[in-house]
Amino acid sequence: MTVAKWEFFEKVRSKAFLISLVLMPVIIFGIAFLPTLFAMKEDEEPVAIGVIDKTGKFLQSLQEHLNQTYKLENGEPNYVLRNLDDSAPLEILKEKANDLVIDGAIEGYFYFPPDAFENGNIEYRAKNVANIKIQERFSRTIEKILLEDRLKEVGIDTSTFRRLQANISLRSMKVSEEGEESESGFEDTFIMAYIGILMIVFMVVTSGQLLVRSLLEEKSNRVIEVLLSSCSSQDLMVGKIIGLSGLGLLQMFVYGGFGIALSIKFSTASFELGYLFLIFLYAILGYLFYAAILVAAGSPVTTEQEAQQINSYIGILLVVPLGFLLLVMQNPNSLIVKALSYIPFFTSPIMVMRMAVQMPSVLEIILTNLLLVVSTIVMMWIAGRVFRMAILSYGKRPSLKEFMNWLKEPE
Amino acid sequence: MLTVNHLRKEFDGIVAVNDLSFTVDRGAIFGLLGPNGAGKTTTIRTILHIIKPDSGEILFNGLPFLEERWNTIGYLPEERGLYRKSRVLDTILYFASLKGFSGVQARHAALKWLERFGLKQDAHRKVEELSKGNQQKVQLIIALIHRPQLLVLDEPFSGLDPINQQTLKEIILELSHQNTAIIFSTHQMEQVERLCDSILLMNKGKEILQGSLMDVKQRYGSNSIHIEFEGDVSFLQTLPFVKRADVYQRYAEIELEDMSKSNELLTLLSQRITLRKFELVEPSLHSIFLQVVGEENEPREVKSL
Repeated sequence: MTVAKWEFFEKVRSKAFLISLVLMPVIIFGIAFLPTLFAMKEDEEPVAIGVIDKTGKFLQSLQEHLNQTYKLENGEPNYVLRNLDDSAPLEILKEKANDLVIDGAIEGYFYFPPDAFENGNIEYRAKNVANIKIQERFSRTIEKILLEDRLKEVGIDTSTFRRLQANISLRSMKVSEEGEESESGFEDTFIMAYIGILMIVFMVVTSGQLLVRSLLEEKSNRVIEVLLSSCSSQDLMVGKIIGLSGLGLLQMFVYGGFGIALSIKFSTASFELGYLFLIFLYAILGYLFYAAILVAAGSPVTTEQEAQQINSYIGILLVVPLGFLLLVMQNPNSLIVKALSYIPFFTSPIMVMRMAVQMPSVLEIILTNLLLVVSTIVMMWIAGRVFRMAILSYGKRPSLKEFMNWLKEPE
Repeated sequence: MLTVNHLRKEFDGIVAVNDLSFTVDRGAIFGLLGPNGAGKTTTIRTILHIIKPDSGEILFNGLPFLEERWNTIGYLPEERGLYRKSRVLDTILYFASLKGFSGVQARHAALKWLERFGLKQDAHRKVEELSKGNQQKVQLIIALIHRPQLLVLDEPFSGLDPINQQTLKEIILELSHQNTAIIFSTHQMEQVERLCDSILLMNKGKEILQGSLMDVKQRYGSNSIHIEFEGDVSFLQTLPFVKRADVYQRYAEIELEDMSKSNELLTLLSQRITLRKFELVEPSLHSIFLQVVGEENEPREVKSL
């Protein structure tokens, strides 16, 4: 217990911990929200787009449609079209247009070939063709124009069409066990699961770093010998894990509070207490499981490089489930997802994801938790044995055979 | 207080300690000597219950290891180090509380020791800001603050200036008077000679020599002569009645085959060099060490040729 207290307070005071405490939310926030914020950022000034219209029908209606739909905040049209067409041959027109794009006079330009109305082939040229917003908006608008035109050809009036084409908007609702309906869009679910997992990952990585570091320090300055002449290796290990779990918990509470405050403010997701509790449970168990692995892997370490390596391996192991995120979201009840839930390394993150998408059955929740508890105990046992032997070995990395011998070594 | 019986420890098939037995009494200062790699550290670690022996027993006051034992031993390892980022006083109190010594009393004791070592003003500084020697003093305080019954000191004097060596010597003697059993592991024979009651000299995991300091010296006779001189004495080695000569720049320890030849030696020396001192003495522990360990190692060296 003394060890736990020491580890906790010394690490809480360390700069590394404080930095990670502050940095983590910033990073999560960055990953989760910034791209969306950037993507949704509106233009502040009208954007000039060139048009070479060889059909002669597009320019006018395109500008009308655009003006109607996309406006800047001050009410001015978002897009200003510039007619680049004159009697010059096509090659020269394109060259001129390209120059304008390079000069930055226009963002890009559309080329409508004479047969554009018939086959719908249109070109867009710009310096930045990755600007999805412009392309998406324009192609939607152009599609509309084409559609209306073709409808007219077959004798259907635009207003009739508008009436027929009732506005469809999809609202997705999540149905939970209790039969309550809660509104939940794809993004909410995604972000929730994402944040949940990132929390576990960061917790393990930051406190793992601290754990391996402190082991390394004690080994290299031989404090470990004094410690082991004061208490058993078992006590020392348990003390360390408890102390660092305390750190993890502190982090969790800070981030959890931060997260809840944030989501209440933006009301992005609906929170249920039971759900939070389960996330918490999985996080703690997953964390303890990984802490045991870290002790087992970290105690034979003798150099800083090795410590880094081990941390990054475990980091990778933790991030792997993120790769399954889409799979889980599309098909939370598929066999492979269920199978993955029962691999202790992935249980916590996968279950957190699954809970965000669709609440798994109570039986599954109990089973996975039991599995985690059992595998954590087994891992702790292994870690204890390895720790006892490895903590006093210096200089050489243990071979697999030595590792096995350590496990067999009698108490 | 401490009894070690037939201790044996192997690492990966290499025998580090082989059939070692000794006892250390309360209030005794016990010197554990031996060349590098002799198995001293392994012996210490098994005594401190850091590692377990393969066979043999270690008894404290006639009892095998119990949990409470942790609190009755103190240890200063040979390789020095502390938590660099932590504060001096915090570190001392942490280790003290691990030994079951905490609260106001511990704080008081820690400050008292810091004062004794002239470190009082550094109590709230970080360990890394202290000099090496001062860090070592902090470690010493950690080893003895909880008043252990058994104190194990591995090379306690190395790295300390003469003043602090003196302080340490006083403290060791003081603790010994307070009935603390002290085990000393060192290469510095003068320290052992001045402090220890009995010694154990080991080599390659085995005991070579054990007993009280007086016994040992007597056993190795007093056929030793110390001289101080000016001139070249390299001819000493070639004299037929000189068994061994340990020659320094202006000082030499000579061992004769037969003490009756000492006069002959004196005559010879006074003819060839300027003698400042000629003294018949009991051999220093240093030369016993060289002699015994040297003999031990010789057969192996022959073999390796």
